[in-house]
Amino acid sequence: MTVPSMTEFTPLTYEALTIGEEFVSDTLLVTPEDIETYAFAVGDHHPWFSGSSPFGGAVAHPTFAANQALRLRHSRYVVHAGLHAKMQFEFLEPIRVGMRVRSRGRVIDKYIRRGKQYMVTEFVTEDEAGTPLVRGQFTQMLIPA
Amino acid sequence: MALAPTLAVGHELPPLEKELTQRHIDAYSGVRTRSIHTDEAWARQKGFRTTLAQGMMSTAYVSEMMTRLLGAGFVRGGTMSVAFVQPVYAGDRLTVRGVVKELRPDGRATRLVVDVWCENQHGQKTAVGTASGLLL
Repeated sequence: MTVPSMTEFTPLTYEALTIGEEFVSDTLLVTPEDIETYAFAVGDHHPWFSGSSPFGGAVAHPTFAANQALRLRHSRYVVHAGLHAKMQFEFLEPIRVGMRVRSRGRVIDKYIRRGKQYMVTEFVTEDEAGTPLVRGQFTQMLIPA
Repeated sequence: MALAPTLAVGHELPPLEKELTQRHIDAYSGVRTRSIHTDEAWARQKGFRTTLAQGMMSTAYVSEMMTRLLGAGFVRGGTMSVAFVQPVYAGDRLTVRGVVKELRPDGRATRLVVDVWCENQHGQKTAVGTASGLLL
């Protein structure tokens, strides 16, 4: 019997971060309920989210999986608090109901500006076949403990 | 959805109005303890007057505005680059605005670039940037 690998979480600090380190999210099944909850959260009930669309069936809001990417660092670190400073997206393919999506990310920079600590992560959200759906990068400010 | 053919540089998009209640933030972020988004005591401890909306919620609003404008040409082929310049608090009311900045060829299509921003009920900009999509 093999022992399942366990994640060892450590507090996120500027010093602990390494440029080039990579993260992978869990896989998320895109359900109609999740799409509906997202639509409520952002107050956007576009008919394509619940019925037919030009893409053949229901699709999710383009930013639906953004939090999966934004929370990538939580797959390894205990994050005390942070602020989102910048966000970039390229919407390559629609996220469809019934897909299983996963995000991968890599820390591409960290810097200190005006005494504040920042990290920059590039990411891609893919379907099960590895087709890129959304690419982008985001900058997060670290709030020390 | 048939707005696109009338678009030209300087055209102002119909604004969106968004009320951000704590319930919306909870649904967006998921309720967690020790979260500046959903734990008011924690947010105050971190120096904020109350809980904050995730900056990402503003990208969803910009996405809605662009999808209303361009439809499938934003869902497949859209881009966005936004900086979050002021916190957005639970209870704030945002107006999402856009002005056409550029139209340029992109393969066989035309890419429409829009200056976008969100402003709160005090007229302060909370997010600024650009978004683009394809005129199909």
